[in-house]
Amino acid sequence: MNTVSPNASDSPDPSADWMDRLLRFDAAEHSGDYIDDAGFTARVMHKLPLVTSALPAWRRPAVAALWVVAGLLLAVALPGVAFDVARAAYKLFAARPFALSTVAFMVVAFGAASWTAAAVALRRD
Amino acid sequence: MAAKAASADVTDAQLIARCLVGDDRHAFAELVKRHQSAVRACLRKLTAGNHALADDLAQDTFVLAWRNLKSFRQEARFSTWLYRIATNCWLAQARKRQEELLGDRDDDVADSDADAADSPHSWEADHAAGTTMRIDLERAMAVLSDAERAAIVQCYHNDLSHEEAAYVLGCPVGTVKTHVLRGKAKLKRALAAWGPAQPA
Repeated sequence: MNTVSPNASDSPDPSADWMDRLLRFDAAEHSGDYIDDAGFTARVMHKLPLVTSALPAWRRPAVAALWVVAGLLLAVALPGVAFDVARAAYKLFAARPFALSTVAFMVVAFGAASWTAAAVALRRD
Repeated sequence: MAAKAASADVTDAQLIARCLVGDDRHAFAELVKRHQSAVRACLRKLTAGNHALADDLAQDTFVLAWRNLKSFRQEARFSTWLYRIATNCWLAQARKRQEELLGDRDDDVADSDADAADSPHSWEADHAAGTTMRIDLERAMAVLSDAERAAIVQCYHNDLSHEEAAYVLGCPVGTVKTHVLRGKAKLKRALAAWGPAQPA
């Protein structure tokens, strides 16, 4: 919208910062122009970085706590099972006595790998 | 329909809170929809009408806004904060394209002067002349330094106060005023033919 006088050049002081009026005229002409979205928002949303988890913030501690409980249960139950499985497998494939320390080492290594994987999966940027 | 009506009632601050608390992308999409026109228009002005570049920069602006939303302290309007990011994106891009920006502007401005020479101030009354004047003004903006152009766009096109423009540009208010004055002086020289007729 033109907010300046059409006959401004006839005003008493036409040189009174005509550039100021010109810039305001230009701004007013553009002020009502709405740039149609035309898929712009969709492109922006597509470019947004992915989050590591879509879970709401309040669920994160709950999920982490559940993993801790599950991990503890596994940690309690697994050694006996692991020993049995490891002992049977060793007897089956090696058919000779085995050292308990070897099995213990494998269990510890497996547990460490599991907990590391869980920590990586639950990390937040 | 009801959801659309409801979203119109939600303030920017409420949408920002949803983004921050629940990583709510729908809320951010609503913010983008609300402000995309203003941000793209601002960048089109800064890029002297390069719509493709302006839209690319606008996308970068909103991605940066999403990443840095936690740092928005509500000390300014959200739109003003977006202008600040957009201006920084444009300045970074302009530094990369400095040689291109310095390219053919002198010839263009000289041509526009010649076109307008016979019609001083006709832009205010004549729609066609007004359109021509705006094209010439867009070209003439290339004469300005980045800081001058940014200051003029913020103060006139975005209708910000000097204080708000200082926030957007990250400089003191006095510096903004200086950039505006110098920019207008350069534009006056470049667009002299559109000014008041000089006595013979």
